[in-house]
Amino acid sequence: MVLHLVAKICRIISSRIRAANKQSSKRLSLLTSLPKDVIVDIIARVPRCDYPTLSLVSKHFRSLVASPELYTRRSLLGCTEDCLYVLLHDTKTNDQRCYILRRKVSGDRRLVLIPSLPAMPFYGSYVAVGSRIYVFDRTEGAFSIDCRSHTVQPLPSMPIPMHRTVADIIDGKIYVIGDSYCDDGWKKAMVVLNTETQKWEEPAMIKPDIELGETYYYGCVVMAGKMYTRDSDNSFVYEPKEDKWERDEMLNLKDWEFACSVDDVLYYCDRDEKSLRAYDPKQRCWGVVNGLEDLYLLVEIQEWPNIEIVSYSGRLALFFPKSGNSREIWCAEISLEKRQGGETWGQLEWCDHVLTGDFIVEWPGLVSTGNFVSMKSLAVTV
Amino acid sequence: MSKKNIVLKSSNGIIFEVEEAVALQSETIPYMIEDDCANDTIPLANVTGDILALVIEYCKKHVVVADGDGGGSSSSSQEDLKNWDAQFMNDLDQSKIFNLLLAADFLNIKTLFDLTCQFVADTMIKGKSVEEVRRTLNIEKDYTSEEEAKARQENEWAFK
Repeated sequence: MVLHLVAKICRIISSRIRAANKQSSKRLSLLTSLPKDVIVDIIARVPRCDYPTLSLVSKHFRSLVASPELYTRRSLLGCTEDCLYVLLHDTKTNDQRCYILRRKVSGDRRLVLIPSLPAMPFYGSYVAVGSRIYVFDRTEGAFSIDCRSHTVQPLPSMPIPMHRTVADIIDGKIYVIGDSYCDDGWKKAMVVLNTETQKWEEPAMIKPDIELGETYYYGCVVMAGKMYTRDSDNSFVYEPKEDKWERDEMLNLKDWEFACSVDDVLYYCDRDEKSLRAYDPKQRCWGVVNGLEDLYLLVEIQEWPNIEIVSYSGRLALFFPKSGNSREIWCAEISLEKRQGGETWGQLEWCDHVLTGDFIVEWPGLVSTGNFVSMKSLAVTV
Repeated sequence: MSKKNIVLKSSNGIIFEVEEAVALQSETIPYMIEDDCANDTIPLANVTGDILALVIEYCKKHVVVADGDGGGSSSSSQEDLKNWDAQFMNDLDQSKIFNLLLAADFLNIKTLFDLTCQFVADTMIKGKSVEEVRRTLNIEKDYTSEEEAKARQENEWAFK
């Protein structure tokens, strides 16, 4: 403790000397003469949307905003924020780029292109883990996007090349399921990435002990430590601890696709019934999210396929083209409430247009808004 | 039981006598007592009198009074304390705020440190433009035009 105290006193004296020196040379910045960890403590409490501004203030601030200790501090202080990223296919340029839902000073939210990030693979799968987005693709391989700095970092090559993958995370491990080419043709396979060690788990490849069809068109979702996916005929549940696959007949009662989970309940947009459906694996029952009539009025029936739905800070976020103006992408944020008797009610917390496309194109089977096709939305914690 | 008092001495020799419970909100002071820095007077070589007066004002307001049942109860309601904290910070100029921050860090008074950091973050940085931050915090632009253009390009998404 004495040493600690001495160190602290020395630090404060040296910061005073720094301040005094600065004072003699023109102006005095009281903030920058503070000890570094105190400055980090202050910056950690500033909303993340102010960081780009801060990094333009001075080189010192720029290095602070880029420092890993700042983000560690944010986590420790509970100052992290959830940010939404959306992958949009632009038919003008024919590539997939990352956009961030940014809150402007005026309070408006807009989807903004992140120019520093490269085009993303069309058939890739994407998993948000903390402040990173992991990407897996047959041609591009595996890499991660650091959403603090908006830079791409390589990952060890995938043990086997895999096509049309679905992926999600359970207990720090990302399970990637897709098609791998063997001597006897395309076969379903699974590889596992440990996000802590950033290494692929052994054995390098696991063959699912069940017949899995084309899962890529439906996506997957994790609830209570199990991974759920489906093909055109069946729904499946994977239990990683026992490496066991099973069919889930109850879940298979609905044609669910591109679902997300909030508090271990699955949610998806039912294109036939035009409603938000919920499946609770504990109760093994399906239900609808009530109270969202206002939202349904905004969305075109024919646009219901492939509406992007994502779990975001305990809520649901939806990206969709607005009815009657298909050049505009809209975003809705829905809070969920479980009422007595087990009914789920949704409250439209916020809904506005977040991006306007240049022109209208036909893109069969996918939501096209102007020249944009929404591919994937992800919630990242920064 | 009679209340024990602790005597604190600021760097410029000003003496403050406070109740033990008030002083013990600092996690540093108990070690200074243990380490026998002083039997009766604790010298605080890093904290000037005007700042120490503010620290004591804060600690007096936030002291948790032990009640007869052995539990603890705050001398003010949470809402009152929040309003008081806001007013307390608002009345300070920038130099006092940063010196208070250093004192809270040195004396290890976590709630005061958190309050001061949050106040600086909210009032001097949050929602401000590059120029406003530079002006508020007296920071000189150390970028060359090329460096600034590059930094701006990297952060272009945030200014659309």
